[in-house]
Amino acid sequence: MHPIERVLNTMEGKPVDRVPTFCAMVEDRTFNEVLGKPLISQELLMTNPVARFVVDRWGPLITRPIFQTELNRALMKRIRAQVELGFDSIWAIHDETFTVLNHTTMVRFNGSVFNIQPDGYGNMTYMYRGPGIKSREDFEAWPYWPDADDVAHRTYNFFKKVVSNYGQRTCLFGQGPAYGIQESLLWAVGFEKMPVWIRREKDLVKRYIDLNEEICLKTNMALLEAGVPVIIQTDDFAFKSGPIMNPKLIDELFGPSYRRIIKAVHDRKGKYVLHSCGDNTLLVDAFISWGVDGLHAYETTSNVDIFHEKKIHGDKVTIIGGVGVDYLLTDRSKDEEVVDMVKKLIRELGPGGRFIIAPVHSLSSIPARKLEVMVNAVNRYGAYPLSLETPPKEAAQ
Amino acid sequence: MNESILAVQKAIDELDIDGVSALVAKCLEEGLAPEIIIQEGISKGLEIVGRKFEEGEYFLADLIMAGEVVKEAMPLLKSHMNPDEASLRGKVILATVAGDIHEIGKNIVGMILSANGFEVIDLGVDVPAQKIIETAKATGARFIGLSALLTTMVGSIRDVAEMSAKAGLRDAMKIVIGGACTSEALCREMGADAYGETAIDALRIFTSYSKAA
Repeated sequence: MHPIERVLNTMEGKPVDRVPTFCAMVEDRTFNEVLGKPLISQELLMTNPVARFVVDRWGPLITRPIFQTELNRALMKRIRAQVELGFDSIWAIHDETFTVLNHTTMVRFNGSVFNIQPDGYGNMTYMYRGPGIKSREDFEAWPYWPDADDVAHRTYNFFKKVVSNYGQRTCLFGQGPAYGIQESLLWAVGFEKMPVWIRREKDLVKRYIDLNEEICLKTNMALLEAGVPVIIQTDDFAFKSGPIMNPKLIDELFGPSYRRIIKAVHDRKGKYVLHSCGDNTLLVDAFISWGVDGLHAYETTSNVDIFHEKKIHGDKVTIIGGVGVDYLLTDRSKDEEVVDMVKKLIRELGPGGRFIIAPVHSLSSIPARKLEVMVNAVNRYGAYPLSLETPPKEAAQ
Repeated sequence: MNESILAVQKAIDELDIDGVSALVAKCLEEGLAPEIIIQEGISKGLEIVGRKFEEGEYFLADLIMAGEVVKEAMPLLKSHMNPDEASLRGKVILATVAGDIHEIGKNIVGMILSANGFEVIDLGVDVPAQKIIETAKATGARFIGLSALLTTMVGSIRDVAEMSAKAGLRDAMKIVIGGACTSEALCREMGADAYGETAIDALRIFTSYSKAA
C-alpha cells in the first residue's frame, strides 16, 4: 500500500496493511546525521565577530534575504531527512514568522521574543524568551504583524516545491507560518499575564484571536492549493498535569476560530491534525467537537494515558504519537527498549486502526539512528492482521 | 470570622482582581492588622484556590490569576507592615538550571510562594550551579527550587547538589525540583530532596520544610 493511502485510510478508519508512521519533524542535528554535516557549522558562522557585527547592525533588513533563505533551505532539508528515514508521513513546516533583531534576539510576527542560541550540536536554534506585548499600547504599536495574503502567497510557493519533490513519496502533514492561536497569545503577552488579559482586555484578546485566525485560514488554504493533503497545526493547550486553563473557557475563546479553520480544511477535502503537548485528556472532547481528524502528541512525560485514550476516543479521532523523546529516542536508550515500546504500542493501539505511531516531539537530542530503529520495528511488527502476542507477564496481570 | 476578612478570602477564591484592593482597604480601615488580613484572608483564600486546583475545579491559569489577585492587594498591605515582617516563612532561591531557559513553571511557583509569605529570590533562567550556591551563602537562604524542562540539562540539578555539599551547605539545604522532564526517580538520581509536580506541590513541600526548620 502507498504511504499516502495508508495514512489517509487510517485517518478515515478504513483498513490498511500496516500501522503507519509519522515523523514529528527533525531538528538540525538529526538531519545533519541523515544528510551529512555542512562544511562550516551554523554556530561557527553566528559566533564569528564579523557576522555578529552585521547581524547586530542590519538584522531586520537581512532577515528576509539571508536568514529566511537559509531557513527555507534548512526546512527543506528537514523534510528530505524525514522522507529518507522512511516515515509514511512527515511534518513539513514553512516558518517565516520571525524577524532577527540582533545576534541573540528574534521576534515572531505575532508578539513574542526568542533567544537565538547554540543547540549543543554545532547548530543554532531558538528558545522562547518572553512576551513582546506587555500593554495595550504595545499591542497597538506592534510593528511586525504580517500581511496575511502575502504570507499565504509565499507559503504556497514553498509548498509547491515540497509537493513537487516529496508529495508522491510520503504523506505530507503541512504547517504554514501560523502557530496555534492560544499558544501565540500565551507567548505574546506572557503566561503569567494571559489570565489577566483574558479578564481585563477582552476586546484586544478578541482582536488578537481574529488576526491569527485569518493567518491560519489563509496559509492553510495555500497549503491545500499546493497539494498538501493534511494540515497540522501546533497549539499546546496543556502542561504536564493538565489543561492550561478551564476547558470550558478554552472552548469559548478558541473553539469558534478552530471550528471555522477546520471546516475550511474539510470543505477542501483536507484532513486536520492538532498537535498539543502535555496532558490534554480533559480537552479531547472539545477538540473532537471542533472537527479534528487526528491528535498528536500524547506526550510521555505528561500524565496522559494513551492506552486509556484509545479506549474512550479511539473510534472518533486518530491517535498519533506514543514514542517518548525524553529517554527512548535518545543516545541513552538501548535499541531493544525502542523495539519493545513499538511492539507494545502496536499491540495495544493497533487493533481497530486509527493509530499512527510517532515520536511525541522533535528535539535536538534525537539521534537519527534511533528513529531508524523505530521505523524498522514498525515495518517488522506492524503489519495487519497484527500477530503480536501479549507477553506472558502482562497477560498474567 | 470578621466579615470583611471573609470578603477578602472570597475575592481570592473567586479571582476577583478588580475588587480585592478595596476589600483589603476596608479591612485596614476597620483597624485589622495586615498580618491578620494576610493569614485569615489571603492565605485562607489561596488554600481554597489550591484545593480547587487539586480537585480539578481550577486550572493552572486560575492559580496564576489567584497570584495576580494577591499581587494586586499586597502593595497596600505592605505599606502598613514593618519591613521585617515581609518574609514570614523563609527565603527560597528559584532558578531554571544551566542550559535551560524555560521559566513559566518557575515563575508560577514563585508567585504562589510569594503570595504565601515566602521571600522569593528569583535568579532567572540558565543559572549556573555556582551562582545558586553563592546566592545561598550570601542571603542565608536554604530552600532551593530548581526548574528543568529540557531532558538534556537535568545534570545541572546534580551539579547544584554536589556543589552545595562541597560548600558545606548540603545538610542544611533543601533542594526541590520540578518541570516537564523531572520526576520522583530523577529527584533521587540527581540527589535532590523532593519533586513537586505542580506549584501547589511546591508550596506544600516548602511549607513543610519551613515548619520543620
